[in-house]
Amino acid sequence: MKGSSAVAAWLLAASVAGADEFFLEKIEPLLKQRCYECHSHAGKIKGGLVLDSKSGWERGGESGPAIVPGKPEASLLIQAISHAQKDLRMPPKKMLPAAEIALLTVWVRRGAPDPRTGSPDAAPLQTDDAWEAEYHKRLDWWSLKPMRRNDPPSIADPLWSREPVDRFIKAALDDAGLSPAPPADDSALRRRLSYVLTGLPPSFHGDDHLSYESLVGKMLASPHFGERFARHWMDVVRYTDTYGYEWDNPAKGSHEYRDYLIRAFNDDIGYDQLLREHLAGDLLPEPRIHPVTATNESLIGPMFYHLGEHRHGSSLMFNGIHQEMVNNKIDAFSKAFLATTVACARCHDHKLEAVSQRDYYALAAMFTTPRWTARVVDAPGKNDAAIAKLKELRDAIRGEMAAQWTRRGAFQAPELKQWAAANAPALKGIGAPLATPDDLPKLAEKWQRLRAAAQKANAAFAPASLDGWVFEGDGFTHGKTKDSTPLIALEGDAIIARLLPDGWHSHALSSKLPGSLRTPPQHQMTGSHLSVQVAGGEFGGHLVVDDHAFQNETVAFYTNGEPAWRSFADAVLKNGAQQVAIEFCTAPLNPNFPPRTGLAKGLDNRDFGHDKRSWLSITGIVTHDTAGSPQDELDAFTGLYDSTHSTTDPWQRIAAWFSGAVARWCDGRPAPGDREVIDWLLSTGLLPNRAEPGTQLADLVADYRDTEASIAFPRTANSMDERQTQPARYPLNVRGNVDVTGDLIPPASLRMLPGRDAADRLALAESLLAPGHPVTARVYVNRVWQWIFGTGLVATPDDFGRLGGQPSHPELLDWLATEFVREGWSTKSLVRRLVLSQTFRQSGQVSPAAREKDPSNRLLHHHPTRRLEAEAIRDSLLAVSGRLDLRLYGRPVLPHRLAEDDKKRLLSGPIDGNGRRSLYLQMSIMEPPKFLVGFNLPDLKLPTGRRDVTNVPAQALILMNDPFVNAMAEHWGAEVAAGTGSDEEKLREMILRAFGREATEAEMERWLDREEPSSRAASKRDWAAVAHGLFNAKEFIYFR
Amino acid sequence: MKQNRTNAMPWSSDVPQTATPRRWQTAPLSRRCILASASAGFGLFAFRALAGAEGPLPRHHHPGRAKNIIFCFMDGGPSHVDTFDPKPALKTHQGKPIGESAVTKRSQSSANRVWLGSPWEFRQRGQSGLWVSDLFPHLAGVADKLCVVRSMVGELPLHGQQNLLLHTGRILGQAPSLGAWVSYGLGTESRDLPGYVVLNNDWVPNGGLENFGSSFLPASHQATQIRARGIPVDNLAPAAGLAAQQRTLAKLAAQDREFAGLVSDPAAIEGAIANYETAWRMQSAVPAIADIGGEPEHIKKLYGVDSTDEHQRFYATQALRARRLVEAGVRFVEITCPSFDGNNSPWDQHGQIKKNHEKNALITEQSVAALIIDLEQRGLLDETIVLWAGEMGRTPHTPKVSDTCGRDHHVNGYSIFLAGGGFRGGFAYGQTDEFGNAAVENPLDIHDIHATLLHQLGLDHEALTFRHGGRDHRLTDVHGRVIREILA
Repeated sequence: MKGSSAVAAWLLAASVAGADEFFLEKIEPLLKQRCYECHSHAGKIKGGLVLDSKSGWERGGESGPAIVPGKPEASLLIQAISHAQKDLRMPPKKMLPAAEIALLTVWVRRGAPDPRTGSPDAAPLQTDDAWEAEYHKRLDWWSLKPMRRNDPPSIADPLWSREPVDRFIKAALDDAGLSPAPPADDSALRRRLSYVLTGLPPSFHGDDHLSYESLVGKMLASPHFGERFARHWMDVVRYTDTYGYEWDNPAKGSHEYRDYLIRAFNDDIGYDQLLREHLAGDLLPEPRIHPVTATNESLIGPMFYHLGEHRHGSSLMFNGIHQEMVNNKIDAFSKAFLATTVACARCHDHKLEAVSQRDYYALAAMFTTPRWTARVVDAPGKNDAAIAKLKELRDAIRGEMAAQWTRRGAFQAPELKQWAAANAPALKGIGAPLATPDDLPKLAEKWQRLRAAAQKANAAFAPASLDGWVFEGDGFTHGKTKDSTPLIALEGDAIIARLLPDGWHSHALSSKLPGSLRTPPQHQMTGSHLSVQVAGGEFGGHLVVDDHAFQNETVAFYTNGEPAWRSFADAVLKNGAQQVAIEFCTAPLNPNFPPRTGLAKGLDNRDFGHDKRSWLSITGIVTHDTAGSPQDELDAFTGLYDSTHSTTDPWQRIAAWFSGAVARWCDGRPAPGDREVIDWLLSTGLLPNRAEPGTQLADLVADYRDTEASIAFPRTANSMDERQTQPARYPLNVRGNVDVTGDLIPPASLRMLPGRDAADRLALAESLLAPGHPVTARVYVNRVWQWIFGTGLVATPDDFGRLGGQPSHPELLDWLATEFVREGWSTKSLVRRLVLSQTFRQSGQVSPAAREKDPSNRLLHHHPTRRLEAEAIRDSLLAVSGRLDLRLYGRPVLPHRLAEDDKKRLLSGPIDGNGRRSLYLQMSIMEPPKFLVGFNLPDLKLPTGRRDVTNVPAQALILMNDPFVNAMAEHWGAEVAAGTGSDEEKLREMILRAFGREATEAEMERWLDREEPSSRAASKRDWAAVAHGLFNAKEFIYFR
Repeated sequence: MKQNRTNAMPWSSDVPQTATPRRWQTAPLSRRCILASASAGFGLFAFRALAGAEGPLPRHHHPGRAKNIIFCFMDGGPSHVDTFDPKPALKTHQGKPIGESAVTKRSQSSANRVWLGSPWEFRQRGQSGLWVSDLFPHLAGVADKLCVVRSMVGELPLHGQQNLLLHTGRILGQAPSLGAWVSYGLGTESRDLPGYVVLNNDWVPNGGLENFGSSFLPASHQATQIRARGIPVDNLAPAAGLAAQQRTLAKLAAQDREFAGLVSDPAAIEGAIANYETAWRMQSAVPAIADIGGEPEHIKKLYGVDSTDEHQRFYATQALRARRLVEAGVRFVEITCPSFDGNNSPWDQHGQIKKNHEKNALITEQSVAALIIDLEQRGLLDETIVLWAGEMGRTPHTPKVSDTCGRDHHVNGYSIFLAGGGFRGGFAYGQTDEFGNAAVENPLDIHDIHATLLHQLGLDHEALTFRHGGRDHRLTDVHGRVIREILA
């Protein structure tokens, strides 16, 4: 069919006399009919392309010229109308008839003759100018305008005049002719306060005798305040413990970030500091160290970027994956801190906001400049004392060993001859000459030949300059050793495990110390190849990192104790990647350890990789231009084969060789190769390597081992490392298409905000904190308002733009934001102000007038009844039943699952999560905790400033039948049954605990009523049934 | 379907009060009694109305040909060139390098990989002569019912993205699943059953549970999962026994109404109370539907419920349940494949394609064929669409030909089929090149299939929208067209 139409079109074309006529008769009408609607000055100008003039298609649109005369297959226009590519189909909805496509194809093949000379619009289309005008129009928007300092209005009511917040609220109510609700009753208010500030029921706190003001102080000081507010913020930054997608890999150190938030809210760290740390904690000249936990808090902040979903592979493997992840980072940043939807500008200038596509890619450049890698978040110097002591002890042990070996005296020929005869299997490697002593002259010749060849070959390898290389972790910073430094064995009878060659050894003092060595991008190093001599074990290895990829699966784990060369040829950059670098790291500093199951051989699928010893040695780094790697120059045999020996007796020569090596080591002047000789002597037992009990040496070794044992495993988290990096330039993706790249965009902030020139993340953070910034404080204050009142002054906390809501009380929002900054960005001060307000203390009574005039309560004429969040429901079940474990912090607790899938690490935990609060449950993107999902735990991939509250039957089924709820009822029932007091007293106490108020008589009758005759004392089962009933009361999951 | 409040459950405060109102005493309800009451009242009200003010249902845009969809999700990607897309050239060129021109980013490909012929013979089947390989003997028997699309094109050869694309129309997900959209568009015909059910075994496919989610649509449209083994549905077994539960619920009715009088938003509390009524019914209704014990032996045999293979039994049970669910009015039923070897996804045979595609075929294909036969003999095939699709096909090439070799990810032209519901049986649409390596005629993407499925249900994919984040969203985003050529 298609073939015949094409032929028909050819005939048609041939029958037209001139090329111009062909265009005017056949092509122009077609363009007018099919294309002008969207691609002409009379219609729209989509994609910047006009077809109403020759110059229009010559210049083309955003994707370049539309037609290559003579080459239909290379012409975008023909590709588009053929619907050959999925994302370039014109007309988008319905394909043109085959005959028309054929006609246009013929026209292009004939050179696209087009007699139109002028252009309907003489001025060339200036899309930049059009954007410029639009941009300035869009700046006229409330959230971009400077904050105004408003004095709180004066109102008549003295009670409502005390707190400025109340004056703003009351004035607006007065204007609307409405009155506030009467104050809430005491028990309702205390319950409300308890949930709002701590997410726990009031009975948990006790102290019903405290005044309200004192209770506020007490709850603000409670460590559970930090848990509650951390969880709020975790929604905003899309907190997750895993990376989802196909393998749900653990997000390294996510819990460190969660605990960092808890500490920060409890310590009332200013929001300005938190913002700085989130965006650029790694760049702060003075990191914030938590004094009690010895944590480098600032370095944890950038884990914020790593949250969300990560894909697999790398940018070089599948183009598009990396860009999607970048989009998620930009989305999270702009929504969380700016309530702006910058991610919409990935494919085109924003449809509604003053955000251009270049703005988007400028942020992409800024965020992809640093290495996205793991950092040690222990306070710097945490292990210094132990490390210094280990070094001293190692020196002392070395001294004792040297003395012991000196005492042993020189090796004797008969001794070795006799030993060799008895130990034939050991005569390999260094020991090989002992197997054939008569061949020494021949071996010497061979050695000299090989050595010369190796030396010659090695001339091609230049020692690499370490400019731009970055070391991380105590393992490497304290692991640079001189040749033949002893590695002290951490267990067993042997004292020296081996001698270490010159180089970096993360385990030189302790294999708990982490180490990472990060190379500059390959193309910045000299030579086309890099070779590194490495040894390692226990999941020490390297990653090849494409473009600072967030999740990189090109990983190798070393299992060689003897150093071996590994070569890396410069990668071919493709799929838009800008650079490739390599990270050599022990497991704790490997940002993707543990990797997907199966990639780390020997690691059980159920092992999350915490607290692992891991080690890595780097003993040579060279660059070169041809494939291959340096060869062993056989230094170890120099002492045997070189010609300075005075004797020709082979055994004497061997004895002298060994003795010389040991003597030089004892003297502190080892020669190259002595290390291998001594290691062999140690491995064969020819050199003593033990301490007699009670000797000073034994004490030193014991002390060494005790000191090593006292070192804690390192705490690490995925963060940023921008040291020694060059600013990235991110390719603009034309129409968001990753295969069509435009300009390389350098880092910058958003043009519409102050500080557009910010070129790195720290400058970006500081620009957001500049005095009078229109957005930063407003956005955060609005979030806090929502956390207290349920709805923000702006109801869309993540979007202050044109699709978002307008502030209900703009003057109040500005007043609060200004005051918040003035009070040092203190969250607690702000919260205190809000919960002490009369506005907060209102009851939920709604007057008919208020319901009529302001049904959505934007003016706050009452305090709305709210359902508890998922976490608060589960935590209340734990707290009320007495099962709550109050411990703070720690690694995620696996949620209970009915089925496990260990390949994806979807493993099951205890039914009650060990009683831990819900924010400690493992938040797996792939399968989040089901109980919490049932009550609207948000999508873990996306920033969620405000949760949905649904009301569905599945929630009833959970509370009626979930084994966890049942277990809590039984737990509580057993406790009540075992307690003292009458049934009435017990029930009163239960109701008080569950609802935070005294029981009513109707309730007492209702729940004391039992199935069986009441002569029998109530059993555990009876009380469990009551407990289960109270859990299912709506009052349990709502507060008013 | 009337919302008749006088049929409220016995603990409801609407029940006329007796002389001793403080105690609601009765003999414990029998299961039969509960089943009877379960069919009497509130389910529809709850499922529809509590989801929010959604307006009348169904939202038909035109008369629908079909009413239900059963989606047999072939998770992992069955090989098209070993099932429905015969390519003799692969045999004649087996072992020869594919060359640079065959490399595509929609395939795990490189120039030095080699073509691999199919280990199974292809034959023309039925009246229509549709090609089906010997891998699927039972499906071959219903070839005249199958509308095979051989020219599906995806975006990237990755499971997670393709799964989410297949289910939600977006490679990133974060949008409702097809089943949720159908439930949203048509509602459920059943009082006590949800609109979207996934027959699953706690399997979490690549891309996560989001594949079955409702995203921004009301939560009542998310999939309810029913297991083949163990407890069929979470939290459906009454924790304390029905009688005890009933007593508690009676007390709660009174307790909650007192609370409702104190709050600023009594409607939310009333809604939550009504949920308990629905939940009560679901406890009986869902297990009753899931119980295939009453099906005749020959029907169970037809599906393969009697198989000696455990996984085939699971799948057969689920397929039979699927029929029962659509009979009961569930709009969208999805059946997942059991993972028999702990692989990341069942059909993902990077190695051992011969052995393990046969295993997957054994587990699933008899039951899918049985479903088509059974639906037809009940007159339900006309109004029920059976969709058989993986998220991808498999490469016609392999790194090295061997007895244990496999095929890798491929979305550059692969096969799915549709049966019933007005699709054209015994028909193959679209073509790949002579190696099955690229769609060359009538390439379709999943949006086109989504659009066509909705069309058959009486829904216009451009008109079925939901406002979220200030924008009207649709299943097909800005893509998709109805493919009339594949309709009967």
